[in-house]
This record gives sequence, C-alpha cells and structure tokens, in this order.
Amino acid sequence: MSRPRYTKLRRDLWHARGRVVLMIVAVALSLIAIGAMLTARTVVLREAAANYAATHPASATLDVAGGVTGDLLEQVRTRPGITEATARQTVTARVRVGGTWHRMLLFVIDADDPLRVARFDVERGAWPPPADGLLLERSALAVLGGPRVLTVTAPGGRSGSFTVTGVVHDAALAPAAQERTGYGYLTPAGLSRLGLSPNRDQLKIIVSGNQDAVDARARELAAWLTAGGHAVHAVQAPPPGRHPHQNQVDTITLLFLGFAAAALVLAAVVVATTLGGMLAQQTRQIGVLKTLGATTGQVLGTYLLMTLTVAVAALILAAGPSVLAGLALTDLMAGLLNLDITDTSVPLRVFAALAAAGLGVPLSVALVPLTRAARTTVRSALDHRGATASRTRQRAIRIPGGNRMLSFAVRNALRRRGRLMLTLVLLTVGGALFTGGLNTADAWNTWVREGLARRSYDTEITLTAPVSADRLTALLRDVDGLSAAEPLAVLPATPVRDGQAEISRTYPDGGHGAFNLIALPAKSPLIDFEILEGRWLDTGDQDGAVINQGAATRLGNPRPGEKITLSVEGRTRVLRLVGIAAEVGGPAAVYTAADPAVPTATAIRLAHDDPSVPGQVERYLATAGIHAQTVMPVTELSMAIDEHVLIFIQTLIVLAALMAMVGALGLASAMGIAVTERTREFGIMQTIGATSRTVRLTIIWEGLAIGLTGCLIALAVGVPLSAGVGSFLGRLSFGLPLPLELSVTGMAAWTVLGLAAATTATLTAARRASRLTIRETLAYE
Amino acid sequence: MTADVITLNGVTKTYPTPAGDFLALDKTDLAVVPGEFVAVTGRSGSGKSTLLNLLAGIDRPTSGQIQVAGTDVHLLPESRLSSWRGRTIGMVFQFFQLLPTLTVAENVMLPMDFCATYPPRLRRPRAMELLERVGIAEQADKLPATLSGGQQQRAAIARALSNDPPVLLADEPTGNLDSATAEVIWELFAAQAASGTAVVAVTHERDLGRWAHRRIDLADGRIATGATR
Repeated sequence: MSRPRYTKLRRDLWHARGRVVLMIVAVALSLIAIGAMLTARTVVLREAAANYAATHPASATLDVAGGVTGDLLEQVRTRPGITEATARQTVTARVRVGGTWHRMLLFVIDADDPLRVARFDVERGAWPPPADGLLLERSALAVLGGPRVLTVTAPGGRSGSFTVTGVVHDAALAPAAQERTGYGYLTPAGLSRLGLSPNRDQLKIIVSGNQDAVDARARELAAWLTAGGHAVHAVQAPPPGRHPHQNQVDTITLLFLGFAAAALVLAAVVVATTLGGMLAQQTRQIGVLKTLGATTGQVLGTYLLMTLTVAVAALILAAGPSVLAGLALTDLMAGLLNLDITDTSVPLRVFAALAAAGLGVPLSVALVPLTRAARTTVRSALDHRGATASRTRQRAIRIPGGNRMLSFAVRNALRRRGRLMLTLVLLTVGGALFTGGLNTADAWNTWVREGLARRSYDTEITLTAPVSADRLTALLRDVDGLSAAEPLAVLPATPVRDGQAEISRTYPDGGHGAFNLIALPAKSPLIDFEILEGRWLDTGDQDGAVINQGAATRLGNPRPGEKITLSVEGRTRVLRLVGIAAEVGGPAAVYTAADPAVPTATAIRLAHDDPSVPGQVERYLATAGIHAQTVMPVTELSMAIDEHVLIFIQTLIVLAALMAMVGALGLASAMGIAVTERTREFGIMQTIGATSRTVRLTIIWEGLAIGLTGCLIALAVGVPLSAGVGSFLGRLSFGLPLPLELSVTGMAAWTVLGLAAATTATLTAARRASRLTIRETLAYE
Repeated sequence: MTADVITLNGVTKTYPTPAGDFLALDKTDLAVVPGEFVAVTGRSGSGKSTLLNLLAGIDRPTSGQIQVAGTDVHLLPESRLSSWRGRTIGMVFQFFQLLPTLTVAENVMLPMDFCATYPPRLRRPRAMELLERVGIAEQADKLPATLSGGQQQRAAIARALSNDPPVLLADEPTGNLDSATAEVIWELFAAQAASGTAVVAVTHERDLGRWAHRRIDLADGRIATGATR
C-alpha cells in the first residue's frame, strides 16, 4: 500500500472513520444473520439426517392383524428387497402429571430384539429393562416431570407402576414437549403388567430405495401377507430419511435465510448511500485525479477497493459471531428436532457462501454509484459545488399551513433526489421487514388463538373400544359440572387416489402425517371451524363430508361437489364433499355426520369449567365398563402448537430487529452526509443572521420529514409483505395462509424507532454543524 | 523553425444555458511553440478558462480542431483522455487542489503512479527533485493543510511537472496569493518555459511582461490581441 493512490484510500477511510464504522457495522450485522442462518441450516440438516439415519428407521410399518409370529418374521426377512425386519407393538396409554393427563406411547420391544430397525441410543440404564421397569425417551423427562416411578394407565383403565430404569434418545421422534406425549420403552413382560396381551402387530421393514420403491415393496408385502391369511390393516411409510420436522425446518430456515439476505442487501444500500455521499464530497478530487492522469478505471478501482475494504472488515468482524450465533441457533433447533449434534464443524462452503455474499453484495450494489462517480467528467467534477437545488422544479415547495422551517426542510430533502430515494428505500425496506416480521408473528399467534377458540370443548377422551354414542350420552347426563358431552368416532383412514389407497405417511409418533375419518353430530355445538369453501355438515348428510385443509392437500385439493374416496379399516368409502374447513391443531381429517341409526363412538369431547370433570367422566364410564385410552385437554393442543412455532416466531422477531437496526444506521448515514455536504451553506445562513439553533432546527426538521415519510411508506409496504410471508408460513405450518394481522405494537415501535433514529442521527450532525464557526463553514471544501 | 506544440484552428465552443446557447469561444486560432510562456488575460466570461479546458481535453470544442503535442485532442475518445492528459498536460489550479489526505511528496508522486511514467523506486526521488526545484523539499512529508498558500502552489507546480509534460496549463495560479508570492510562482513558470515546456497561464494580472513571452487578451470569446507571435 505504498503507492499514493492506496495511501489516499487508507487515509480517506481513516478520515471518514465514523461513516466507515457505520458501514462495517451495518454489513457485519447482516452477515452475522446470514452466517448464523447458513450455519444453523447446514449443521442442523446434516445432523438431522445423520441422527435420523442412525436410528435405522423403518421404511414401512405394516399393521398385521393377529400379530407377527417368529416364523412369519423369518419369512419376511427373506422376502426380496427387504434388508431387515422386526415385529413390535405400540400402545397408546396415558400418564397423569400434576392434574393433567398426557398421552403416553409405549413402544413394546422383545428383550432379544437385535435393535437393527427403529433403534435408539441408551443414554442411561440398560436395555432391556426388568418387567417392572421402562426406559423413557429423554425429551419426555421434562414433560413427565422427571419421574423415578411412573404410573401408566393402559387403555382399559388398568394402571401399573414402572420404575424408570433408564433414558434413551430416539432421534426419529419429535420432542415430547411438542407432541405433549411421553415415550416409554418396555418389554412384552412389562406390557403384561398393564393387563394387555403382547401381540407384535407392527411389522417394521427396511427397504432400500426411494419412496416409490418403499411403497412398492410395502404393497407387495401387504399383498403377500394378506394372501397368507394375515390381514394388513394399514401400511405406514413416512418419507425416507426425513425427520418428522425436517421439512418444516428446511423451509423455514430457507425463509429466514431470505430475510437475512434482505438485511444484507439493505446493508449494501447503506454502503452505497454512504459511499455515494463520501464520493459527492470527493467529486472535485475525482476531477483532480483525472487531470493528473487517472483513468475512469483507476478511479473506479480505487473506490471499489474502498468498498472491498469495508466488506472485508465486516466479514472478518462477522465471521466469528455468525458461527457462534449459528451454533446457538443450531442448539435451539436441535432441541426442536430432538437431535444430538455430534459434529459442529461448519463446512467450508458456508464460509465461502458467506464470503461471496459479504463481498459480492456490497460490491454489486455499490458498483452503480461508484461507476457513476468515477465516470464524472473532469469538467463537472471540477465545477462541483456540493448539494444544489433541483433544476427541474420551477416553483419552491411550500407546505400548506406548515411553518417556513418545515417547507425549507422539505426543499432541502428534495435537493438530492437520488440519495433521498435511496434513504427512503432503506427506511422502507427496513421498516417493512420489521413490521412485516412482527405482523407475521402476531398473525401466527392470532391464528392459533382464534383457531383453538373454535373448539368449544375442553377435553377429549378417546376410548379403548367403540361404544354406542347414545349410551355414552345417557351415561354422562348426570355428571356435575359437565356442560356438554359429544360422542364422536375417530378412525384412521387412508386417502384413495386413482383407485389406489395411499400409503399412510404417519410417523411412529402417530401424530405427524396422520389422516383420520371423524364422524360426529352434524350440528356439533363444540366445534365451529371456519368454512373456506362450501358448507358445514347438515343433518341428513350421510354420505356428505367436510375436509380440513390438511386432508384437502392429501386428497389432491378436491372441490365441493366432488367425490372423495377413503380406505377405512380395510373398506373403501366414497363420500361427497360438501365443504372445506380451516382447522388449527389437528391432523388431516375428513368429517362426516354420524349415522343416527348406528351411532358408534371411539371418543367423547367434554365442555366443562371444573377441572375435575374429566376424572368424574372417566369414573362414570369405567363403572359402565367403558375405558379411556387417552385424555387430552385442549390446553395441551395449544401448548403443542406453541412449542412448534415459538422458536420461529422468536427468530422472526430477532431478524425484524436486525432490519430495524440496519435501517436506522442507513438513516444516520444519509443524514450525516446531507449535513456535511451543506456545511458551507450553514455558514452562509449564519452570515445572514441565522442562529446556531436555527441551523440545528432546520436539519432536525429535515431528518424528521425524511424519517416520517420513510415510516409511512414502510408501514404501507409492510402490509402486502406481511400477507406474503404469512401466506408462506401459514401454508407450510397449517396448510392455509395466515390471516393478515397488523401488529399495532410493531407499527408504533417502527414509527417511534424511525423518528428516534432520524432525530438522533440529525441531532449529532446538527450539533456538529452548529458548532462550526462561520469562518470554518465558509472555508469548507 | 520549431513545430507548434499547441495548435487551435477555428475553435468554437458554445454552452447551453437556460437563456439559450452561450458562445464562450468563437472561431479561435492559436499556436504555441515549445518553451513559450503565454499569458491569457481577459474579463470574467471572456473565454479564458474555456480555452484552457479545451487545451486540457476537459471540454470538447463545438467545432474546430485542437492539436496538442501532436495529438488531435478533439478526436481522442473519453477513455484515452485521462492518460493522455496525465502524460501531456500539467495542470495548476487557482486553489491548488492538492489532495488533502496525501503528503506533499505523495501528491507529487500521484501522477507518476497513475501514468506509470516512472518505476515505483524512482518516484520518490523524482518527487524530491521536483520539490527541491520549486524550493519546498523540506515540506515533502507534510500534509498540504499545514503549508502556506504559496508553498501549496509550488507543490501543485511540482505535481504538474512530475510526468515531464510538454505543456503546462495554469488557471489563475496566483489568484489566491499575495503579490510577492505570486512573483515567485511566475518565476517558476518562466524557468519551466525556459527549459522547453510550453506554458499557458490564465491570469487577471496584465503586467506579466517580465515573465511571459506573449500575452493573449480575450474578449467575448475572441482573441482581441496576441493571436500571433
């Protein structure tokens, strides 16, 4: 850097160090966001795949009536295309923690099972547990209150106490907190203690190949089993190699990466604006350089090097924190996915992408103003006299009813229209992303809150066996504190498309990918889902059906009036679609009106205020020989949804705050430049009688005018942006766009922040300008 | 007979203004030989600065031909003008226009850097030699702001000479200096002309007879006196 042009570059940077620091901070902040998102996304996706693969998840699970004998299992293992097979059983039981019932999935595994399929890591204790013991999945410990002894209530109502003899990690399951479910691992001997007969009715197989290959092998095996007299009730084949939450994490991190990239573009605009301002001050110098022989390329190269210096400094500043923030985010997401992060190494491609973005974006954005400045002719550069009035405007702007100072401020703001536009773009994008982020977070909360409010029941009890709905209603008529009880039948179903039953994509947790047929009273007073198309069920709609948005996707988005076909308990049912409803917090479901002639219920929904009611109901039912399988309060559903989305909302808010910071830095930079380049003008104002206070107020009014304009545009642009992001996130999470919700807090916060940033930025510049003596200002070049 | 280093043939320059085209220079002919010191005088708006800008390739003529050091300046593409200017023209401004963040020596080295006329190792010695010639070698490592006006203008002259240009153009080089300092500056220009450089200086000072070989008086865009030697 001994050549004079580089010496000039170095000293110019030092001379404008305040602005240089501002540019570096703006770029570094956005790079930290990008780096963090890239790191988290890369590490989490890699580790999720590795964790999930390490469990050797079953490619498909076939529910075989009567269970799978050892001989049958051996035969299955020798079937073509099947690399491994085992037989297991999953029982849905429940446990009470405090006053709340939780679903409890019991995975029943033979003590001598070689654990080559759907395996888990024993983190504490040993497998197999004794008959009176079980192992808990680690994420269930917190949900269940970290018990040493767990009393499990089996379907049928019989309870048994188990010592928690160990803890396992099963990366194939979504974390217990999100599903509000406990996961226990025990042997058939343990299951017998609950009065249940082990029957190994789940045949789990591993098939190599993609989803089509898995489906084909599973269908082939189901046909072979059926032909051999072993009825297959259902076939489940979740997407191969993909964790139940992986798709969601994949898409949402990509969206957040987009937000972070927008922040970088915003920071690059800050760089371009600031450099543009610095160049405006150096216009004459550019003219001099050209008279001394500097070519446009040399001038451009020097200023590009200046940009590169800023970008490199920001990159160096951001590299460490971005990886640290990324790993912190990785930890949070690992919790979301119940993963063990065994390898935190960040691939070189992440750094390469960060470097490419960090250097490429500022250089690309700055290229336009830099090229324009470098191509300035010597004549116009030497004639440069700083900010001038617009030549196109014939008459001066006057604010109707406004004071002279405000009119003056607006005219000043309009003098540099290009820069004004950039500043407004900066404020608009920053503010729109900020308010858009908060609007989306609000929409998310509103959607969940209002969606759950459409369920007027408080508890749902599933039964161990179907019973008459009329009998249920009659039995519960006298329960104190029960304001409503509604029997319903919930049956696992499979969509049939093109004449072929879809293989269920349900994961082993039974929740992700589930699809149910629900028969309930047509005029149910306990649910009031929003109707998106068509109508809700009517009395007499015996073959009519309403589907929720999840089912609509699975069924190929049929329209009301069309027929839909399901496979339920091995039989095909054809229903006439009458409506599509929006449902929050439930799996894909098809609702039909219960047949009044033969009403059968597998569950009952209860509305009550008294928390002891579900217990009373259970006792009433037990007296009649009807046993509860699970008891699920609606509050648990709310918590489950919250657990799923909380981290995303928090990340969205952090990104929104980042946008706000970059936008505020941009405004500060623009105002600083605007004031600096009019230094001489302030001297002239003072020579004709303006006081320091007048100078200060002029600048502050100007900053406020720009800040307010930027805020208003940002608020307006934030609305369609919120709608777009809400649509994307809503469709991803719930299958429907989120409603457009305007966060009053967010909009007020941005307005206050924008005006505060404008005032702070201009105050600093104004104070500096008003402190200069007239001689200093008039001598300013 | 020495060949002209500057030739203007029928050069006209008009500028568009809101009030209509302004004729800055009207069908002007001029020739300057190497080693000649020409003082250009005239009232404000007479076309002095326009003449200088046309010679330096900063402006292009509306019509006519300009040849400087054997190059048809009016035909040079924009992309080649800068490096041509750096090697052919030394420019001295009224307000010195030294780059404020570079030392005096670095300012002098800058044209050599841009035009690569001297290898890097020779640039500093060359700058020192020029500063010695203009009498401010001891100020070489100071920033321009710490120098007096006269010293800054001497530094600007040293910078203008750094690439050994055949033509030195000065736009009111003493306009910002006291009369004693102005004398020193004119003496430097005269010495440079004596060494073979053509010097064209725009000035308001009409009494440069001691230094300049010829005075051209411009009025309303035309050469009133001094068009020929």
